[in-house]
Amino acid sequence: MIDPELLVFGLLGFLGLVSVVATYLAITEKNLIKAVLYSAIQSTVYAFIYYLLMAPDIVLVYVPVAVGLYPAVILFLIHKTEKEERD
Amino acid sequence: MNGRIIGIVVIVLFITLFSLVIALGGLGYDLPMERVRLIARTYLSIAYNPFNRNYTVMSPEVVTSIVWDFRGLDTLFETVVFYLAIIGSVVLARGLKSSPPEKKIESYGLSLIVKTVTRITIGMIIAIAASIALHGHLTPGGGFQGGAVAAIAPLLVLVIFSRYYLENLGVKKNVMLAIRSIGLLGIGLTGFSVLLIGLFSGVNAYVFQNQPKPGAPVGLPYKFNGALISGTLWFFNLFEMMAVAAGFTIVFLLLSIPERDVLEQLKEEADKH
Repeated sequence: MIDPELLVFGLLGFLGLVSVVATYLAITEKNLIKAVLYSAIQSTVYAFIYYLLMAPDIVLVYVPVAVGLYPAVILFLIHKTEKEERD
Repeated sequence: MNGRIIGIVVIVLFITLFSLVIALGGLGYDLPMERVRLIARTYLSIAYNPFNRNYTVMSPEVVTSIVWDFRGLDTLFETVVFYLAIIGSVVLARGLKSSPPEKKIESYGLSLIVKTVTRITIGMIIAIAASIALHGHLTPGGGFQGGAVAAIAPLLVLVIFSRYYLENLGVKKNVMLAIRSIGLLGIGLTGFSVLLIGLFSGVNAYVFQNQPKPGAPVGLPYKFNGALISGTLWFFNLFEMMAVAAGFTIVFLLLSIPERDVLEQLKEEADKH
């Protein structure tokens, strides 16, 4: 039987790696809408990480702000400019 | 495409190895630490402690006790920074108005299914926001958290119905500014409340005081009608929720003004000069 604490730490590590991949994709993506979606994936993973780190106060502020309000603001702004990033 | 895959593999490998080194004690000590640090233990022991009435906050929620009592002034200035950011965007968008709707208001927005689901969920969102904020001194959460959740509701209406529908419901920029000002005024008054009590009863008291402190033996009651409200914390959470929710809503109302209306009005203004 695996130690539950080890399982939590393993899950934390895995979620951290997922967030790193999502961040990398968000930075290198040229299509800005897709970049915002990758950024929202990173935020969702972070919300799980905060929950596993036993910080429910941060989760409660992180979920509406980083998953809801912040992508919405960025999408509004992209709608006002261009969808593709140019060199 | 290949370059991105190589980039991902390199980053993942680097971070895995780096965390392995740290987990095996590469910093000279073990992470995570075995015990809670001294300052954390102090806060944990005095946040709700009826036997230590001169230092306690009488709130079982240690994070809210820290945010609105132990470091209350920092939170006040955070609120002020947020307020100035909102004021900045209001000033930038001064005089901008959305053009009147060209067709019937009901015909804007997404399909009927989405609209019906949204109508149901908005009630739940508001209820959850209220419970997060008003129970902020008992369970995880607080004013900012509740306000941020409450701000999702007008955002959903804005995207799924339309700007006109939201304004017909009475959610207008000036109404939101008024709610926001009431919230900030409430935070200010709550901050001064114990000081005023002290002034009128002739004893020493401090700004942002909550429960009695050594040398300042006044404070707000920590129970109201048998329910724990932890003195000022409940009021701070309530007013902060109003201020944050209204602030975010103002930003979304301003952002949702169609771009061609903005350009037209900017052009008119430039022609006048």
